[in-house]
Amino acid sequence: MKKLIFIITTLLITAPLAMLLYKSQVLNLSLLPQMVDDVWNFHLTVRPKGDRTSFSFPIPKPGPGIKITDERIRSKNFEVFIDSNSDSTLATWSAKDPIKQKVTYSARIDLKPLSYKNIPKDHTETYPKGLQRYLKTLNLLPEDVAAISLLEKAILEGNEDKTSVIRKIYYYVEEEIQRNTNIKTIHEALTNGKGSPLIKAKLFNILARRQKVPSRIVVMVRMPELKSTAQAKVRFTFANEVFLNNKWIPIDTNRGYFGERPDNFMVIHRNYDEVEKIISKKRVSYSIQAERARINRFNKSEFKKEVVKSDSIFSKLSLYRLPLPLQTMFTTILMIPLGTLVLSIARNVIGIPTFGIFTPILLTLFFKETSFGFGFVFFFVVVLVGIGERYILDKFYLLAVPRLSIILTLVIMLMIGYSLFSSDIAMISQNHLAFFPIVIVTTNIERLSIMLTEEGLANTLKTLFGTLVIAILGYLLYSIHALEMFMFTNPELLFTIIGFLILIGKYKGYRLSEFLRFRDLVRQKKKKTEGISNDIP
Amino acid sequence: MIFRDLEELGILGINNRVGRYILRHNKRSNYPLVDDKVLTAQRAETWGIAMPQNYMIIENYGSLKNFHLKIQNYESFVIKPANGSQGNGIIVIKEIIKEERNGITRILCRRSNDKLMDIEEVKHHISGILSGLYSLKGHSDTAIIQAKIDKHSIFDNYSYGGIPDIRVIVFEGYPVMSMVRLPTKSSDGRANLHQGAIGAGINLSDGSTNNAVIKNQVVDIHPDTGHKLVGLKIPFWRESLELAAQCYDMVELGYLGADIVLTPDQGPILLELNARPGLGIQIANLAGLVPRLEKIRLKAPKNLLAHERVDFSMKNF
Repeated sequence: MKKLIFIITTLLITAPLAMLLYKSQVLNLSLLPQMVDDVWNFHLTVRPKGDRTSFSFPIPKPGPGIKITDERIRSKNFEVFIDSNSDSTLATWSAKDPIKQKVTYSARIDLKPLSYKNIPKDHTETYPKGLQRYLKTLNLLPEDVAAISLLEKAILEGNEDKTSVIRKIYYYVEEEIQRNTNIKTIHEALTNGKGSPLIKAKLFNILARRQKVPSRIVVMVRMPELKSTAQAKVRFTFANEVFLNNKWIPIDTNRGYFGERPDNFMVIHRNYDEVEKIISKKRVSYSIQAERARINRFNKSEFKKEVVKSDSIFSKLSLYRLPLPLQTMFTTILMIPLGTLVLSIARNVIGIPTFGIFTPILLTLFFKETSFGFGFVFFFVVVLVGIGERYILDKFYLLAVPRLSIILTLVIMLMIGYSLFSSDIAMISQNHLAFFPIVIVTTNIERLSIMLTEEGLANTLKTLFGTLVIAILGYLLYSIHALEMFMFTNPELLFTIIGFLILIGKYKGYRLSEFLRFRDLVRQKKKKTEGISNDIP
Repeated sequence: MIFRDLEELGILGINNRVGRYILRHNKRSNYPLVDDKVLTAQRAETWGIAMPQNYMIIENYGSLKNFHLKIQNYESFVIKPANGSQGNGIIVIKEIIKEERNGITRILCRRSNDKLMDIEEVKHHISGILSGLYSLKGHSDTAIIQAKIDKHSIFDNYSYGGIPDIRVIVFEGYPVMSMVRLPTKSSDGRANLHQGAIGAGINLSDGSTNNAVIKNQVVDIHPDTGHKLVGLKIPFWRESLELAAQCYDMVELGYLGADIVLTPDQGPILLELNARPGLGIQIANLAGLVPRLEKIRLKAPKNLLAHERVDFSMKNF
């Protein structure tokens, strides 16, 4: 019998672990979905200068590598017009009186790095009409034109495809023109071999267009470093995009990226020519704040793809195949067995007393579905209602079941009352099962008042405390988001939990609480035996 | 290990009690014989084991209607839930008082702690029992109205209010350990260790108390009467142990707690049985149960009669 239990327990515990190993080593599945936290909270504040009743400013537009959610434009006292017909978006604020206030734009922005490697050769001759404006040559001083022609002769061979030409121009501007923020004209740049980021971008733009490659200067925002705590001032910076093989390819001669854009750069406008005047310091003052949004969410959808792609038996058994609401439910439910494991240890190994067997777990669920602070307070209110009700209705000599039902009804009234007068009800209404656990707990409340009369305050408080301690332990466990996802991703671990539960079920040793309970016995016994040995001369 | 002392003394822990003794030696189907005091009383009658006389068995609210009339036939009584535990829900009424005022007759009951209860309150309490308020599993229950037992004079100086009872742990029919529970003022006259009654360990060999505790603390004298608690000799000791041993034959539970009271006229009678007797008895005796249980399990001869098993226990423990 002992052997059998040993074998079963070992199997239950090790088999799922072996499965985990197989999944991660053989199938190369990740054991947890990837965390995504590259979301930015982006705030833009703009104030026009001078007496203007209307002004415009670029705002981010979704595109390759950039996703925008929760966009908000404060539009009180203004009319806001959003123009996103071109490759970029321009917001225009207007009012009856000259605008003296700041206007704000905020959004949640998800940035992904862009990378185009091995750009094929490009021999395009004609471009559609829409691209013609990116081919317009700019007015230059005659001596600059001469200098540029010399330059082109030096670096280009004349019969290359457009991709190679662009690459050569890129290398020239990136390496030969040194970064110097004081140099602000093309002429100076050509004569000194130095230039500001904007001048470098402009020079690249001129050279590309002269070779009949559609090109534009993009206005970007460099997102602050993750670890920098100081609020660094975020300014606009510039880079280029060229149209090769029917695609806009990012190029940054200032930071040395060809066909790449890292995910700490966000394009706010794709054609500098259009916004040159709009963003000039003479016309507006702006400030930008960007910080990483603190959301640790797991990218379930990506993981689902991964699981389905693996095409193993696990892909058929995976909970990721379920519809999303069911997934959410099971993430919570799969934690319950883990909670029972904690409960079993707390009760049978440590010896913490609790009201009812599963009350602590129900409380944990309640804390989780609402919030800890609220759950805690609400639980105590329910306890008070339970005790108060018994105290008041005791005189009426009601039978037990109707009386319990009255407590239940009172608690429901309490919920309604709270819902009507509370502002953060949204947090509860998201989950329509939020209050269910506390309703069940209510049925145990009457036991509390009976215990109070029969076993006294000390014992009751001890039990109440024990219940809360386990509930809080469970809550802490639940707040480990990775653990939740781990159970959801690998539900076979439930067998492991059963294995451990069997082990606890077979535990015949002392409970930690018994050490305290029999402490005096041990002390007295020792005293007595010592007393006897002392009597012997 | 912090448990080394406990192990050396052979203290029985809850997990061990349940896993090794209760689950293995107590057949689940026999539990009702112990948990339901009505069934215990029926069994005891056929086995000729003395128990307090049951005046009334109240099974439904309808029978409560005439309760105040019927109860007047008795001078005193005890109300018990048939499926109660740890003495919860038990009320002892030592006197029924009829009071006439302005032509209206009130019936009052004086409890053992001298508090007065209106008969309506008593009925309410009984209906609470019927609805399962005190039952082990919370199911609806039966109320027993039972004869009140008087205190044996030996305990006059050792008990405050209620009646002391003798708990005997019986393993496979052999008495293992025993204590007498003496009510105190702080236990509200109840013989319940949790509520502050005295637990005094008894030597099985001669029936004399060897040690006494209140809530796990060793005490020398009764806090209310001031009498020395060690050395008290329980009368009818052998009879009490034989009664406890017979209970094993009656309900066939290997691990059993028998609660016995000494009456002034009948000698020891069985009050109730318990399939999950508590472990506090070890503190009362300053001794562990495990060595005794193991001795019985490994060394005690099988198929002995109750009085032969008592011989074994009195000789060994």
